[in-house]
Amino acid sequence: MTQTLDTREGLQFFGRVSASVSHEIKNVFAVINEAAGLIEDLTVMAERGIPLQPDRLKGVANSIQGQIRRGDTIIKNMNAFAHSTDETVREVNFVEILDLTRALAARLADMRQIRLILGDCEPVSQLANPFDLMQLLHSSILAAIDSMDADDTLVLSVKPVNGGASFSLSVPGKDAPLKNDHVFSSTLQTMNVTVTVDENLRTTELFLPAQDATD
Amino acid sequence: MAEKVLLIDDEVEFLETLSERMKLRGMDVSTAETAGNAVTALDSNEYDAIVLDLQMPDMNGIDMLKVIKKSHPEMQVILLTGQATLEAGIQAMKLGAMDFMEKPADIESLTEKIRKAQAKKMVIVEKKTADKVHDILQTRGW
Repeated sequence: MTQTLDTREGLQFFGRVSASVSHEIKNVFAVINEAAGLIEDLTVMAERGIPLQPDRLKGVANSIQGQIRRGDTIIKNMNAFAHSTDETVREVNFVEILDLTRALAARLADMRQIRLILGDCEPVSQLANPFDLMQLLHSSILAAIDSMDADDTLVLSVKPVNGGASFSLSVPGKDAPLKNDHVFSSTLQTMNVTVTVDENLRTTELFLPAQDATD
Repeated sequence: MAEKVLLIDDEVEFLETLSERMKLRGMDVSTAETAGNAVTALDSNEYDAIVLDLQMPDMNGIDMLKVIKKSHPEMQVILLTGQATLEAGIQAMKLGAMDFMEKPADIESLTEKIRKAQAKKMVIVEKKTADKVHDILQTRGW
């Protein structure tokens, strides 16, 4: 990973993720707005003599708290994503970065009625450019989603292999979701990533070799 | 007469809360979490207005708007979305949407738009009926 990925593509990736996250936050605000409005409506009704129902208020409060937790998770993910540009290369926990990329792509998958889940992952950390790695994983997930049907599940895993790391993508009950000659081949080349398809396991593997600290 | 409204949005909590608030304002509200459910509801009910999310898991709002306008050209559709872009707004209006609002929306503005939608639909339906009566009178030679 001595070279960095194309700036324009990187900006497009950053924009795509930011747009998706901001849209999710808007939805959270919309629910909180209606819940707060409902409390106001119930209060106005109480002033007119209609008794307040404690269970109804409790339900609305729970809804607001749930949305705040949802919003907090979205913001934490966005914050971690933004910090992926802090250093060009650093020691990266690959399980964490895979899960973060999964979370950031979840809404785009939801729109296609596809579930993204983390499968069996073995602990693996190595030097990498976190932003480029997320871009690669995000592109892989979107490309996989393009070949999938509604109600399918994309399972993502990672494990250490030959001093490097191998990310795998599979769709239970179906063939491997990505083929060697995929559209983001230039990204793979820049990052020195090789893609293989295991027909028996019906899995696509993205192998990222260990990076030299002097790179 | 209570405004009959169909709310279409995949955010269940949003649907539940907004529909409760609209019912408190005297409206007759139904909800649909998917475009598929919305089509079923449209085929078996009459509505004065539809409030439609621009992004749905099984169909985007613009495509849904085309489906609605094809089968129910007189239907008044208000797009309510978390992703309000000028481009999407223009496209929606060209396709016959009555209005375009951004989430989180002000309930009083939304209510006002729904009341206008009901009035607009009544005018269209009355004009259609008058045209039909006029056609009958012209062709029968009475």
